[in-house]
Amino acid sequence: MANHSDASEEKLERKTATTEPREKATYAVPVAKGLINTLKHILRNEPNTIHYPDEKRTPYPGYRGEHRLKRDELGREKCVACFMCSTACPAHCIEIVAEEAPWDDREKRPRLFNIDMMRCIYCGMCEEACPCDAIELTPVFNIPARTRAEKIYDKDKLLSL
Amino acid sequence: MAENQTNDGTVAMTSWQLNGQEVENPTGMTIMEAAKEHGIEIPCFCYHPGLSIAGNCRICMVESNRSRKPVISCSEKIADGLEIETESELAVSSRNSVMEFQLINHPLDCPVCDKAGECTLQDHSYEHGPDRSRFVEDKNIRHTKELGPNISIWGNRCIVCTRCIRFCDEISGTSELCIVERGDRSVVDVFPEIPIDNQLAGNTVDICPVGALISHDFKYEARVWNMDRKDSVCGGCSRGCNVEVETLDGFVKRLMPRENLEVNDWWMCDEGRYGWRHLYADDRLSQATRDGTALADDSATAALEQLLSESGPVAFLIDPFLTCEEMHLVQGLAASRPGSSVGGWLPEDGIAANFPSGFKISAAKYPNRAGAEHIFGDQVFGNDATELQKALVSSDFNTVVAFCGGHLSSGPGESWAKALSSTPTSIIFSVKSGPWLEGASLVLPATAPIEKDGTWINEDGRLQRTRSCWNPGTEPFSVELVRLQTLQNALGIRGRSLSAAGIFRELAANNDSFAGHNHSDLGSPGLLLSERPAGIAMDGGSE
Repeated sequence: MANHSDASEEKLERKTATTEPREKATYAVPVAKGLINTLKHILRNEPNTIHYPDEKRTPYPGYRGEHRLKRDELGREKCVACFMCSTACPAHCIEIVAEEAPWDDREKRPRLFNIDMMRCIYCGMCEEACPCDAIELTPVFNIPARTRAEKIYDKDKLLSL
Repeated sequence: MAENQTNDGTVAMTSWQLNGQEVENPTGMTIMEAAKEHGIEIPCFCYHPGLSIAGNCRICMVESNRSRKPVISCSEKIADGLEIETESELAVSSRNSVMEFQLINHPLDCPVCDKAGECTLQDHSYEHGPDRSRFVEDKNIRHTKELGPNISIWGNRCIVCTRCIRFCDEISGTSELCIVERGDRSVVDVFPEIPIDNQLAGNTVDICPVGALISHDFKYEARVWNMDRKDSVCGGCSRGCNVEVETLDGFVKRLMPRENLEVNDWWMCDEGRYGWRHLYADDRLSQATRDGTALADDSATAALEQLLSESGPVAFLIDPFLTCEEMHLVQGLAASRPGSSVGGWLPEDGIAANFPSGFKISAAKYPNRAGAEHIFGDQVFGNDATELQKALVSSDFNTVVAFCGGHLSSGPGESWAKALSSTPTSIIFSVKSGPWLEGASLVLPATAPIEKDGTWINEDGRLQRTRSCWNPGTEPFSVELVRLQTLQNALGIRGRSLSAAGIFRELAANNDSFAGHNHSDLGSPGLLLSERPAGIAMDGGSE
């Protein structure tokens, strides 16, 4: 026991003795490099921010903004009210009530399709879950509303986006 | 199990091997049932414990030492020396192949199928099936049509297990359904112009292992995984079928039968199944009124307290829809008022029905007559009721408290309505509006049978627990339980309000019929109460 503790103490001493000066030496160079970089950018005078309301940035592909419901080639909603999106939704912000579809090629369609945009976390799980490619997240992120109720989008609104 | 009884009355046992382990089961059991007792669930489509064995789906094949080919475990019986492998290469590949065959013509429409989430085909496909199909040909198209007033068939989804056909042959005894066409075109159908409209038809939808048979009542109403379920008891008749009430956001969406071999096996009748719509009918009361003006909930309770604290002897008119717990509270109120009297009204009898399987529908369209007779005495619907009616008509009582429950019943008849209206102060708990409310001083909305929390005694004397399906916000008990206890608190005959289980404990302590029981004893099959010993007097005021 005694031998072992002696050895580890010795190791510790040696370690502290050797690392201190070396660390000081290694920090100095990167810090200097960084400051040079900063200085370059200052001198170049090109801002990375944009003047938002006047200038708008193109969103990257896959950006997840507000939802919309798609229509098929005949102009009918693609949604068949299968509830997969509302089941997948971690925020429980999708409310659907189904009804019988008046068309021959499908059985169901949504009578009610509400998304609470204030509750939505824009994760895109609904889009992933949809078997009919009927719901998608658009890059639109900046639609304001005066009341919370206005941010609950109904079927007509989602189809018109 | 008569076939396995030996001469000395014990059950003969067979020892056999299951997955290499030596096990014993009563002689005459099938491999599937016996394996289930040892915790090994063999998948099945066509097998149903309540129906005869068809053996046509082949998903339950297992490897046997007695046969070169795999055997179907739903119909093969266990035997001494039999060695069964359920997880061997042969058994697993048999299941896998059968699943691939079942899915050849089955459409991939789970997202719009109402059975999705509780579908045996989905479950078995996930567990035992291949993850892709090698079938490249066109799928068969089979008919989608209405088979009866409440049931439609989606032929494409049918896997021809014949459960529904066997049900109509053996349980309801009506034989409306049959298989038409041959081979992979076979599908369930009805005979021309003979729709399936027997009183048990709704069960065919429950036992359909896929979404082929769909109930119009539940079509597109909800996805099954979103619903909450409560174990309840149907209050439609005195049989007290065990049901599961399924709700979405607090609203009832459907009733499903719950297995109870002592009462309803696996079935329930359509009258009870579709009767829940009356909960939301237009004539359902939701607002308390005093002399015709609407009251808020709190002031209704206050008005009830005020009317009863001012009154002398009170007449109590009970109905057979009250739970034993609610009746106990009424009894407590009656006992606290010397000179009070209790009687009960009975709804008109309906039509009874007996089915070949032994399933019964009672003519008595109320759940708890036996409970009332255990608590208030045998004559509560007999002489007591006749005398009470006479006394009410001749205005012997100043105040009457009446319970007019039952969302399926037509309410108390004309003579009772007359008796109630001739009493100066009438306080009526009612589920729906009707002529009996005319001239009532205080009308309180009441709970319907499946919204009640408590116990009922069915016509066989079986005490069963029913749970409230109704959960408006945070209210944990049903309304009458709360109101009656609040009233008892205000009148000083009770210290604090209890849950239904608490009230039942009080009841068991005071009434010999219930002595020694509590809610947790009842379990799922309920409890057969022994006959009420003769000469037990009511421990309360009406005598």
